[in-house]
Amino acid sequence: MPTNGDFRNSTSLYLIAAAVILFVLGQSVFFLVKAWKQGKALGIDKKKLRDAVTSSAIFTIPSALSILATVIALAPALGMVIPWVRLSVIGNLMYESTAAEAAMEAFGHIGGMAEKVTDPTVFAGIAWVMSLGICFSLVLLPFLAKPLHKKFVEAGKKDKEETENNGEKPKKKNDISGFMDLVSPAVFIGLIGAFVARAVAGSGKPDIFGDGAGVVSVITLVTAIVVSLVFELIAKKLKLTWLEPFVMPIGMIVAMVVSVVAFNVLPPEIAIWEWRG
Amino acid sequence: MSIKNKAEKTYFDRVHSWGRISSVTALCVLLMFPLAICIDLNVWPSFNGVMSGLLKLMPIYWTTSVLEVFLYTPMLGGGGTYLSFVTGNITNLKLPCAINAMEGAKVKANSEEGEVISTISIATSSIVTTLVMAVGVLAFAPFLETFTENELLKPAFAQVLPALFGALAAGYFSKHWKISIFPILVMIVILIFSPGMGASTLLFPGIAAAVIGAFVMWKLKWVK
Repeated sequence: MPTNGDFRNSTSLYLIAAAVILFVLGQSVFFLVKAWKQGKALGIDKKKLRDAVTSSAIFTIPSALSILATVIALAPALGMVIPWVRLSVIGNLMYESTAAEAAMEAFGHIGGMAEKVTDPTVFAGIAWVMSLGICFSLVLLPFLAKPLHKKFVEAGKKDKEETENNGEKPKKKNDISGFMDLVSPAVFIGLIGAFVARAVAGSGKPDIFGDGAGVVSVITLVTAIVVSLVFELIAKKLKLTWLEPFVMPIGMIVAMVVSVVAFNVLPPEIAIWEWRG
Repeated sequence: MSIKNKAEKTYFDRVHSWGRISSVTALCVLLMFPLAICIDLNVWPSFNGVMSGLLKLMPIYWTTSVLEVFLYTPMLGGGGTYLSFVTGNITNLKLPCAINAMEGAKVKANSEEGEVISTISIATSSIVTTLVMAVGVLAFAPFLETFTENELLKPAFAQVLPALFGALAAGYFSKHWKISIFPILVMIVILIFSPGMGASTLLFPGIAAAVIGAFVMWKLKWVK
């Protein structure tokens, strides 16, 4: 592995990462084998099981590419290893970018995502913050998953009518359920919105291009939104279901290309204008 | 029938035993990673630094974790839940993938068949994601500096967050545009008065505004 003397990408860090990745892979293979055997024991058609594997693999590739794009996006600051591991274990596109930002702020790393972390102590601190920040669900699962699952399976047996919606969550009868369905999207909208609002109205660190809201950040943001919406519409109108998972990565990549074009084509005084400083 | 029930119960219990072991081991592996970095680089970040970063994440992430466990467990089944929470990317990948596979196989999430199909789907998805990332990382690593240090491409890496979150926003905002407008306006107003506030701080009032706004709109029957 070429490391160029960079501690963030040293061979030993890659080996540590490889061990973590192998562990995750091992768990997935274990559950796959057990579920496959159980499927056969239940008499499920082998073709059905094979189709589940094929369709899931195809479904996953575009999203996996957008997760890979996030690893590469975080790499200028953190190197490859931390983003790779963090997005392979519990990680999530939105959480990891946010966690990296929070950790960098806490350790006083100036320049955000575009600037290399050069202090090994700060680097290790960021790894701790990102790992501890995301770990709570693994603490909860051993206590909560079984009783919750049991309740759901029993409810399904008692009232089959409730589960006529093809694998989706059954509609609850209590009054608050309509609002509860909105909580999860609302949390994500708040999270995404923070980055959207900063690209429109936030100030950056002085002397660092692209840290604050400016012409290029707004052009990039608007391009990402518009391109994603257009492709989503195309996928929907033309019933191209295979295109749907590609929409997000296409939007992101086109927006990054447009940011390069805008920066190089616009007059310099406009291209570097960041209205909030 | 009773034999089948017994067999199912056994599988149900076994899945949860494996799942519990896998969650605890994954937790250890997750925390061994930063520890291994500290040992490898022989550096020990300050407790205060780690805590000040964590305090920005914990209120949101840990609360979301509780919500996610309650929300996703019924949809993913036993094996699918444990595996999804270990491998992550649930909302944007594992959940739609499992639902897609269950729809394809015409099985329901809380049936025995649904449990099997969901677990197979999520396990496959996790394996494919892990492999795509491993190949991608190893293929990109030698050229990364060439990309990120290239003067022509630098503006693109400076704008990674607007590009990433713009593309994510399109999907969420278009589906839930009514509940999106209010929190965005609140955050822009906050930035007008406090332009230097980082995204990791800004998301607190953002999420609060989004949830409160959604509740009010739901009460007023503007959204269902």
